Formats: sequence, C-alpha cells, structure tokens
Amino acid sequence: MQTRVDVFDEIFLVFLGLGTLVGIVVISYTLYNAYKYRDVDGREKDEDLPTLGELPTGGGGGRKLFVSFGLSAIVVISLIVWTYGMLLYVEDGPSEDGIEVDVEGYTFAWDFEYENGVTSTGEMAVPVDTTVWIDVTSRDVWHTFGSQELRVKADAIPGETDRTWFIADETGEYRIECFELCGPGHSGMNADLIVMEEDEFQNWLDEQQQGGGDGGSGEGASGDGQQNETDAGNESTDAQNSTNETNGGGES
Amino acid sequence: MAENFPPMTSVKRWFVTTNHKDVGILYLMTALFFLIFGGVMALLFRIQLLEPGGIGILSGSGYNQSVSAHGLLMVFWFLSPFAFGFANYVVPLQIGAKDLAFPRLNALSYWFYLFSGILFAISFFQGGTFEGGWTMYAPLNVPIYTPAMQATTGGTAAILGLTLFVLSTTVGTVNFLTTIHRMRAEGLGLWNMPLFTWSMLLTVWMMLFAFAALLAALLLLSTDRILLTQYFATQQGSSLLWGHLFWFFGHPEVYIVFFPALGMMFEMFQTFTGRRLVGRKWVIIAMVLVAVQSFLVWMHHMFLTAINLEIKTLFMATTIGISLPFDLMVFSLIYTMVKGRVRFTTPFLFSLGALVLFILGGITGVFLGAVVLDYEFRGTYWVVAHFHYVMVSGVTALIGGLYYYWPKITGKMYDEFLGKVNFAVYFVGFNLLYFPMFLAWETPRRVFHYGEGLQIYHQLATLGAFVLGSSFLILFYTLGKSLVSGPDAPDNPWEYARTAEWATTSPPPLENFDGRPTYASGKLEFVDTATDGGTATPGEAARADLERASHDVAQAHGEGHADHASIWPFGIGLGTFVLFLGLSGMTSWVEAFHPEFSSNPSYLYPSITILGVGILGYVLFQFGVEQFEAPEMAVAERWPFEGIETTKLGVWFFLASDVIVFGAVIGAYVFMRINAGWMSWGPIPEHAWAGLLNTYILLTSSFTVVLALEMARRKSKKGLLASMSVTLLLGLTFMGIKAWEWSEKFAHGDYWFSGLEYSLYYVTTGLHGLHVVLGLLLAGFMIYRVLTVDAYLEDSRPVEYFGLYWHFVDVVWVFLFPLFYLL
Ligand code: HEM
Ligand SMILES: [Cu+2]
Ligand SMILES: [Cu+2]
Repeated sequence: MQTRVDVFDEIFLVFLGLGTLVGIVVISYTLYNAYKYRDVDGREKDEDLPTLGELPTGGGGGRKLFVSFGLSAIVVISLIVWTYGMLLYVEDGPSEDGIEVDVEGYTFAWDFEYENGVTSTGEMAVPVDTTVWIDVTSRDVWHTFGSQELRVKADAIPGETDRTWFIADETGEYRIECFELCGPGHSGMNADLIVMEEDEFQNWLDEQQQGGGDGGSGEGASGDGQQNETDAGNESTDAQNSTNETNGGGES
Repeated sequence: MAENFPPMTSVKRWFVTTNHKDVGILYLMTALFFLIFGGVMALLFRIQLLEPGGIGILSGSGYNQSVSAHGLLMVFWFLSPFAFGFANYVVPLQIGAKDLAFPRLNALSYWFYLFSGILFAISFFQGGTFEGGWTMYAPLNVPIYTPAMQATTGGTAAILGLTLFVLSTTVGTVNFLTTIHRMRAEGLGLWNMPLFTWSMLLTVWMMLFAFAALLAALLLLSTDRILLTQYFATQQGSSLLWGHLFWFFGHPEVYIVFFPALGMMFEMFQTFTGRRLVGRKWVIIAMVLVAVQSFLVWMHHMFLTAINLEIKTLFMATTIGISLPFDLMVFSLIYTMVKGRVRFTTPFLFSLGALVLFILGGITGVFLGAVVLDYEFRGTYWVVAHFHYVMVSGVTALIGGLYYYWPKITGKMYDEFLGKVNFAVYFVGFNLLYFPMFLAWETPRRVFHYGEGLQIYHQLATLGAFVLGSSFLILFYTLGKSLVSGPDAPDNPWEYARTAEWATTSPPPLENFDGRPTYASGKLEFVDTATDGGTATPGEAARADLERASHDVAQAHGEGHADHASIWPFGIGLGTFVLFLGLSGMTSWVEAFHPEFSSNPSYLYPSITILGVGILGYVLFQFGVEQFEAPEMAVAERWPFEGIETTKLGVWFFLASDVIVFGAVIGAYVFMRINAGWMSWGPIPEHAWAGLLNTYILLTSSFTVVLALEMARRKSKKGLLASMSVTLLLGLTFMGIKAWEWSEKFAHGDYWFSGLEYSLYYVTTGLHGLHVVLGLLLAGFMIYRVLTVDAYLEDSRPVEYFGLYWHFVDVVWVFLFPLFYLL
C-alpha cells in the first residue's frame, strides 16, 4: 500500500535529481560560454559584427537551438507523463477500506466529524495504517487543510467539498496547518493530528462520545459507526454518511 | 505649445509634460519609490519571521497587512510600472516615432498610476489597509469578515486604489498598442522591430485582455464593499468565481511582468556579446505562443479545489506546454554568447544574473506543473521561492536595463566599479533571501508560526533580505554620484548596440531625432525634413509628406508645431483620486439604508465624493476643449492597420478591452446562476415589455448616431444638432424607463443587496447604465461644441468615434435583454 508520503518522495526525488542535474549543466554551460567568449584584445576584425541602425536579423546556430530545445522538451514532457500515473493513483485512492472524516475549517480552527457522529475540535485522531478519507469544507472563508508530514492537502472552500485521503504508517503526533490566508488568526490556525493504534483509536472515539458530549448524536448512531469502521464497504460508508447528515443537522 | 514648454529644471514641467521621455522618467522614479515602500513592508515581516511564532513586532492583522501590501505594491505599483517607464522612454525611440500616439493620455496613465499609489498609501491610515493577500481571495475580501468599520474603509480604499491603477494600465495599453501598430518608421516592419519593442507589444496585447478581466473583478468587488452587493459574499460559488476571475488575469500577469524584462535581456545580450540573437524568428514565435497560451493555464492555481480530473489534466498539459517556449528563449540567449565578444559591464552582469535566476525559477516551476507535486507545494514557501526566482529575475534584468539606458536618459556615465559591486551584493543577497525558502518549503505561506526545524532557513532569508535591500542603497548611490559628477555620455556608449535609440543624442531632443528616421534603404537613415519631398520650408515639406502618405490632412499643421504640455491629465488624475477617496468611505451610508445594519455615517466621505465629482467634471470639460496637436507621423509602417486612422484604432482597442469587462461580468452572472441551478431563478425585472421597449429605443438611437455622422459629413449644422439631440433624448428615455423599473423594484423592497440574483441584475444592468450615462455626457458635450464652435463640421471623425462607442453600448444591451428579461 503506497501512502502519499511514498508517492511524493518518489516523484520529488526524481524531480529534484533531474532538476539539479539540468540546473547545474545549463548554468555551468551558460557561465562557461560567458567566460570563454569574453572580449579579449586583438581579436580578428573580419567578423560580421552588428552595426548601429541595421535592420535586425537573427544570428545563425538555429539547429543547435532546436536540438537543445527538443531535448529539454523531451525531459519535461516525459517527466510529467510519468507523474500522471501517480496522479491517477492519488485521485482514486487506495482500494483498501478506510475511515471517513468530515473536516470543516472556520476562523481559526478545525472541526472533525467522524462517521459515528463524534466530533472533535483542534484534534484529529486517526488509526495507523488505515486509509483516511477526508471531506473538507469551510464554514466561512477559504482555508486550506493540510498536514505536511503526511503530504495531504485540500482546499476548504465554503459551499464546496473537496475529497482526498491519506495514510499514516507510523503512530505519533503530526501538525495540521492552514495553507490559505484566512484572516488575522491564520498564522495560528493549527490542529493536532494524532495517529494511534486501532484499539486506542476506538477508545478515543468512545471517550469523545462520553466526554464532552460534543458529538451531539445518539447511542445508536455511534454503535453503527463503529461497526461500519471495522467492516466498512463503500456502500455502507455512504449510508453512514447520510445518517450522519441527519444526525448532524441540528449542529450547524 | 512647443515654444513655451518649460525646461526640465522647472517643477511646472513635470506637472504638464506629455512627452514620452518625461513620462518615462516619472514612471521610473515613481516605481522605484514604490519598490522602497514594498521593500520596507517585506523587511518588516521578515523581521517578524526571525523566530517561529514571530518576534512580536507585528500583530496577526499587521502581519497580513504588510504581506498583502508587499505583494500588491511589488507586482502592481513597482514591477509593471518600472517596465512601463522603460517602455515609455525607449519604445518610441526604437521605432523611430516622435512620441506615443496619444501623449495626453500617456500623461493621464501616469497620473492615474501615481494617484492610485497615493490612495493605496492613504489606506493604511484609514484603520488599516487591505489584509486579504495580493490574490484577494473571496469571501475574505468582503467586509463581513473584517467587521470593524474602520478596517473596511482602508480595505476599500486599497481596492479602489488598485482599480484606479487598472484604469491607468488600460489607458496605457491602448496607447502603446496604437503606437506600436501605427507609428513605426518607414521600412520598419513588425517583423523587424527590436526585441524590446516586440516584448512590449506582446505585453500590452496580454494586458488589454488580462487587465480587463481584473477590472471587472475589482468593479464587482468594489460594489460588494461599497454597495453591499453579494458577488463574493455568498457560500454559493463566490470563492470559485473570484478564483477564476482573478487567475484568468493572474497567470497572464506573470508574463506581463516578465516579458519586458525578457525583451531587455535580449537587447543587452545582443549588445554586450556583439552578436545577433540566435533563432530570432523562433524566439518571436515562441513569445507570441506564450502570449496566446497564457490565457489557457489559469486553473493550475486551483488544482487543490474540487475541479475534476479531466480539467486538471488539461491544465497540466497547457502549463507544461507553456514552459517549453521559455526553454527555447533561454537556449537562444545562451547560444547568442557563443563566438561573441562578451563584455562584463554592469548591465550585462545583471542580465546574465537574471538568466541564471530565471533558469532556477523555471525548473522549480516545472515541479509545480506536475499536479501530484503541486498538491503538496500549494500554499507553501516552494511557491513563494519559485515565483520570486522568476519575477525577481525580471527585476534583475530591469535593473540591468536601468544601467543600460542610464547614459541615454541622463547623458551621464555611471561608475562601472560601483555598478559591479552593486551587482555582487544584489546577487548574493537575492540568493541568500530566496534560496533558503526552497529548503524551508514546508512552511505555509503568509504565516509566522512555523516548525522549529525551519528556523535557520528563515533567519538566513531575513539576513538575505537586508543584504538585498542594501544593494539598492548602492544602486541609488551609484546613480546619484553619476548625476552629480559622472562624465558625459556619448550618443552610443555601448559598442555593437544596433537599435535606433543609440543613433540620437544622449539625452535625445524633445522630438527624438533630427530628421525623419527611415529604414527604407535597409538600414537606419535620417531624411532631412527640410528637403524631404524637394520643398524648402518645413511646413510645406510636412504637408507634402502628408498628402503623399496619409489622409490625416486635418493634422497637417501639427508637424513641427506639436504640443508637449497639458495640465488636464494631472487634473483628471487628481479629480478621480478625490472621487475614489470619497467612495472608499461610503459603505456606512449604504449600511444606514440597509435593513439589517445600523450605523451613523459621517458627512466627511460624501463631501469628498462630491468634491471629486466637481473637480472631475471641470477638468474633463477643460480636457475636452483644449487644443492639443500630438506629434504626427506622416510616413509610417502601419501593418496591419494601414486602413484605420490612429484615433479610431485607439477607440477599437479600448472597446476590445471593454468587451472583456462585460464578458467577465456577464460570465460571472452565468457562472453564479449555473451554480445556483439555472432554473431556480426567474427573471428579476417585472415587465419584459419594458426591456423590449428599451431595446427598441437603443437601437433607434444607433440609427440617429449614424445619421449624425452623415449630417456632419455634409457639414449640416442643423442636421447634426438635430440628430445628436434625438440621440440624447432617446438615451435619456432609456434611462428614464430604467429608473422607473428600478424604483418599482425598490418599492417592493427588492434592493441590490436583497440576494445574489438581485446583485447580479442590478450590477450588470447598472454597469451598462453607467456606460449609457457616460455616452450621454459625451453627447451633451458634443452638442455644446457644435453650438459654440461649430465643431465636427470640418472634421467629422469625433462623431464617428462616438458612434462606435454608442453602437457598442447598444450591442451589449442586446445581450443583456434576453439574459435578464427572458431567461
Ligand atoms: C517554467 C515555467 C513555469 C511554470 C511551469 C510555472 C508553474 C507554476 C504553477 C503551477 C504555479 C501554481 C503554484 C501553486 O499555487 O500551487 C505557479 C505559481 C506562480 N508562478 Fe509560475 N510557472 C512558471 C513560470 C513563471 C514565471 C515566468 C513567472 C513570473 C515571472 C511565474 C510566476 C508565478 C507566480 C507569481 C506564482 C504564484 C502566484 C500566487 O499564488 O501568489 N511563474 N507557477
Ligand atoms: Cu485558515
Ligand atoms: Cu500561473
């Protein structure tokens, strides 16, 4: 199972390698030419030098120009075509089952709502090695949800839902930040992303439910949610989503 | 009048000048001032960034203000106008013209520009300036999210300042397009134009369409902010509407700021390598391709929104496609050095540096073009580093251009050693500032809370910012020293320079060349105007020229007696400025009227507004009646517009940009309506028949304008007066019916702020109504001129231009009527 970190690392490495190589070659060649053809005294004067007031014509060397241009075009295009396969993978997501979290940004914090109706503010817990599908939106202005370490990002736009996914393959604490200027508190619009073992995660969900009662949904719904999580197929996930919507209706 | 044109040492000269070289100098100096202004903003937030979480010199809002102001100032008030300063000075010289096509309008662009910047600066003192970033994303850009009334005023002033700036670019764009297309020296075909002129031509073509889209966006944003309409305030597509409008402008804009620099690099590379550009033809073709394609890549700034995969793929392809022509240009520059005689003068060092930086910026841009990578880079310092490498590479080239043209502009040489020190400090500072940003790329943009591990990079960058800043002190010192004690510059200080600006004195005379430049023989020569055409006196010679080459007979006396001074462009700038300043504080008056708000507005801003209208009315009238002879080109290359007279071509260009403005506004309507579900809204106006009647009225008025032109051609004063008056009356009737329709709506409590569909209706038809009103003011003015000075009977062309505008306004209505009354 490829995480987005894997995808990014692979592509970035290749781009970085090739980019550095091309950069060094082209810039060295530029500087080399500038140095090699520096003006020195005593050059032969018989060359066809440009004169003031001539109608402009091009210099020669067009063939060389096209060879270099063709080469660079091939490098660039093949790189992009190669990444396209990865783009398709990232768009479709891994085929394994996962959990769903609704993410809502607002000035200046993040709310997370789980399939069983549990909600949490400023803290997002997810199980390790599980695909987490997120549906991101905003309550007020344009935000962008993102966690650099897990290489996931999605625009949070009022009235739109942007769906994407990520997998964390190590437990621990990660940082969620806002990537679109959204007002005076933008700089501090962070949340914690806590990746935990599956059973811990279940406990966390239960705790959230009993704790603040901020979930706002009944016992029944949460029971459903937990079942769904373990054996969630796509259809049942969808069904769960719609129940969540009816449950959550009162909150918004 | 040419005779009593004040000397350069007189302050008055700088308020009245319409000469392109003077205006160029004004542009350059003002742009450098805004560079300092924007630079200070940057230093402020770079200091804040010394520690994760900020060192506390800026509040969250202060930080956002300085970041936003920095971006807006640098992109709009520094970089573009700096390039336009060079364009003003150099383009007419390069093409062998005496001035731009419309010198007074050129001065007007400058004054709009200066006053727009002043308005922006004032916005800081109206409770804080706009703080939504230079991209001004919706809905953060409307007042509901910056609730303090005070902050709203400053933000609105900033937006209006930007709107005024866009008006300036529109005027300038029309002027340059007309000039470059109509005023090239004999024998200078488009294909043969120097590359800086080529790059400017393509720049203004892009600007014509791109800035029109921005103008539309800003007009809608201003109505949102002042009149409380809801374009960008809803949860139903507002964000994306702004995204599309802004980036449709925004991506071409990045080439708009870069192309002039590129052209400058081509010139300097050719001169300082003593070689002709390799593959010149292909370079021009590549630039044309980029200019066209720049309008087809905008959505790569929106890859992270919920757009679908097909669109992403398409825009990924166009983005990569547009990077390829740049490869060709880069290689062309590199190969031009081969077998050359490279001289490492200061201008060349800056151009070479610019090339190196551009290569790095381009390579990192390709990373962003790969959508999967962009998902991770979006909104981070990678983007910040990328676009600074490319855009500030452009700045680097333009500073090279400043050194390159300094001797021509001032007639003084600068100190090469100091220039080289300047370059060294600049280049080190640049890389110290921007390279660490690649390493710190995981930092989100526009925040001062960043991960601990990234601190070292941010500190390096801050250090680099100060080094880069100090390099400008060296620049100013070097240039100041040159002015005070530099040796006199020869006409052409640069061996192997080819273009015409080096064939005249440094600085050039008021009308640029002694004699008429021509390339008829295949190389630049000057025809003595006194003997040109075999006649003796200049006046007769000019007339002979004219008769031979063009039908601009009316301007015949212009030759040799052209005007270079008018105070009214300054007046119009001032009047518009006062008006906009007043408008910036009008929101509270609309709120007082709005059922959901309460406020007790002050009389300050309405008074300023009225003052502005008063000034504007007076100066526009004076502008209209002033006798002003622009320097004319009797003989010129005009392909492909030989058949269209100069002013008419200007009118056409202006209308083309207006088409885009309306296109964007109508597009906004269609976009929002589709977003809401097309059929979920019905027509807003009560009676379709009223709209139909108005359609008939406007179409009839188009006929009366045609009639007016015919009457003017027949020199029938009565006929002209009658047909213009009927046009005016028909226009008034149209507005009367409109007023009745609106008042009926108001009586039902349906205002422009009552809902999105109402906003769309009132603003779109209101914008059209505004065009009608402007047309009526023009018509009224023309009637007055016919009555008082028998105008247009000798020369009917102004009636024709008015007709073009009026027909355009009518055609727009023909689109609006079904869209709002029937569908
Ligand atoms: C090799 C050619 C280039 C490619 C492939 C490229 C690609 C991109 C892409 C995909 C983005 C969007 C990044 C994001 O927000 O996620 C971007 C941003 C940007 N690029 Fe480029 N670019 C290129 C050249 C240039 C040039 C020549 C300029 C200007 C002189 C430029 C200026 C900018 C600016 C200003 C932004 C950021 C706008 C913002 O979000 O504030 N780019 N570029
Ligand atoms: Cu945010
Ligand atoms: Cu772009």
